[in-house]
Amino acid sequence: MTLESHAETAAKSGFAGRSPGVRRAILVLSRVWAWIFLVALILIFTMTTKIYQQVDFLTVRNSQNILVEIVPVLLMGLGQTFVIIAGGIDLSVGWVMGMASVVSATVIVALLPTGIGEGLSILFGFAAGLITAMIPGFINGVIIAKLKIPSFIVTLGMSFIARGIAYLISGGNVVIGMPLGVRNFGNESLIYLQGGNVYFLQRPDVTGIALRSLDRVFTYPVVVAAIVVGIAIFVLRKTRFGRHTYAIGGSAEAASRAGIRVDRHTIILYTLSGLTVGLAGVLHTARFNGGSPIAGDPLLLSSIAAVIIGGVSMFGGHGNIVGTVIGALIIALLTTGLVMLNVQPFWQYIVVGVVVILAVLIDQGRDLIIGRMKAE
Amino acid sequence: MSRKIMILACALLVMLALVPLSVTAQTTATPKIKIGFVAGIVDPFYQVMELGINQAVADLGLTVVSQYPPAPWGPTSQTPILNAMIARGDLDYLIIAPTDKDQMVAPLQAAADAGIKVITVDTFLGDGDYIKGPVTFPLSYIGSDNAEGGRIAAEALAKALGEKGKVYVQNTTVGTSTTEQRGQGFKDGIAEYPNMQLVGMDYNLDDANTSAAQTAAVLQRAPDLGGIFGVNVFSATGASNAVINAGLGGQVQVVAFDATKDAIEKLRQGAISMVISQKPYDMGYLAVEFAMADHSGVSSLPRRVPTGYQVITAQNVDDPAVARFIYSVPGQ
Repeated sequence: MTLESHAETAAKSGFAGRSPGVRRAILVLSRVWAWIFLVALILIFTMTTKIYQQVDFLTVRNSQNILVEIVPVLLMGLGQTFVIIAGGIDLSVGWVMGMASVVSATVIVALLPTGIGEGLSILFGFAAGLITAMIPGFINGVIIAKLKIPSFIVTLGMSFIARGIAYLISGGNVVIGMPLGVRNFGNESLIYLQGGNVYFLQRPDVTGIALRSLDRVFTYPVVVAAIVVGIAIFVLRKTRFGRHTYAIGGSAEAASRAGIRVDRHTIILYTLSGLTVGLAGVLHTARFNGGSPIAGDPLLLSSIAAVIIGGVSMFGGHGNIVGTVIGALIIALLTTGLVMLNVQPFWQYIVVGVVVILAVLIDQGRDLIIGRMKAE
Repeated sequence: MSRKIMILACALLVMLALVPLSVTAQTTATPKIKIGFVAGIVDPFYQVMELGINQAVADLGLTVVSQYPPAPWGPTSQTPILNAMIARGDLDYLIIAPTDKDQMVAPLQAAADAGIKVITVDTFLGDGDYIKGPVTFPLSYIGSDNAEGGRIAAEALAKALGEKGKVYVQNTTVGTSTTEQRGQGFKDGIAEYPNMQLVGMDYNLDDANTSAAQTAAVLQRAPDLGGIFGVNVFSATGASNAVINAGLGGQVQVVAFDATKDAIEKLRQGAISMVISQKPYDMGYLAVEFAMADHSGVSSLPRRVPTGYQVITAQNVDDPAVARFIYSVPGQ
């Protein structure tokens, strides 16, 4: 769908700002509303948890809990952001994550007795998880690009295939028997805070009550995710690859005429999506000390919701990585905040649903206004 | 080429002609029954149950055919398998874990109408009461009482905490009868102790990540939490992860339901303090014995048999009498 027809749809729906002032306000709002919503959520939860539960929401520990929680949804959402900006969608991410989790755990368990050492076993296991996750991504890309089958269908099919493989490898069980290093990588951190002291890399040797007040700041999965987010922002904003991604999402035909190798680019996009999802799977194995085939299944819709809340247009062509990070943060904040408030957690789904629809409405409003401004 | 086909066809005809002979020979020699087993899903719990069934079948000299529906759990996956079992036409008894108490009534009624006697294991039809309930055609319901399981978890946790303090439940999905009953049983069990308080119950949709996030949030709300009941292994995995990362390992007791190998590994590592194990092997063995007893004319079989639980802790996990309740299939 082109920008113009997209705007027409919005015009028919009657969502139109008339005066230039209102238009400008909506344009500004469309860029920053997710930030405003995020800050508002933090303020609301800070006040309400204090009033109703007498606990602090804005603590180091809570911030870290939320960062840890968003890692899988965020990693899934990163690849998805690229894919959706380019006008596609990847529905295979949920089960590919489970497959990567299971493969990494299985390889580690298989390598441990060979005597190559714990470190190498873990390294090879994680590498195997990442590589196996890229294979379905690559196949997705080839079928979508070369055989011109809609991404929705190809990746849906791939989702089932990955699910079958994940179950076949694991026998439906959680793959167990991880060495200690795996759990440490998933749960230990860069910085530790304890009683006003700061420790780097080395966890202070504390027990009992002191252990209770030990805060892990930037656990390794969070650090890994942050690095990947940094790379993704750079690639999308500063490189030719990023510009081509937007161009293809705007119009694949125009991009192709402009000399962009659309097929090759599409294949790389889906392979990259597999890579970030594979990373989510490997980190799940590390954090929960075992490979679970169902690890990613419940997260698929949350990851797409995060991307949409972040302002990526489902019609392709615009959006950015920071938006996806904010989207993932909003979802995680709702989980933590509502549980701390002792509210039925089901409200979370209702709020997320409203925010998703709101995000698309704002997106359409912006397109409409830009379209009008161009016309005038 | 055509000669080969001829030979093959002749061989087939001879084999087909022999089939009735062998069947009659078998039935006249041993007037034994044939049992069908349809599990709920591919899962170590049902695999252990099948081990119990196979042992009983071997002990009694019977034959059994076993089938596992593919994922996802539900009548859509299970009914085709069940119908294929009925279509065989040679089964006398069917041991099945119905995947839905209402939707599976009609398909299983068809089995009963076809002359196959039905025994439900682990799960049930109607309300599980085959005497006065809405569904009465199954012979018996042999399985754990999940509310009792929740109460046992509450008792075990209360004992470990000195019958005082705050506790919390990590549940999976709303409306799943087994896990809801475990949660409710736990609530009722805790209510027996005046100095214990349930601070909440959250649903994680079988996602360990969500369970960890919710538990971490609860630990902020109630830093003096004493124990957590995870109604299945994913719930307990997430809860124990949050507990350990809050520096509360060993101080907040995590109780897990179901003795999967994963749960037992976490018990050995100290991440989980107690595992409430069901007895799938016993369910399977007993179901076969019931079929044989019914066939022999015993008419006083109980219509409901709760098979009970085993509480597994780090202290007793290596005791063979306890370890046999771990859901582990040899060779896997």
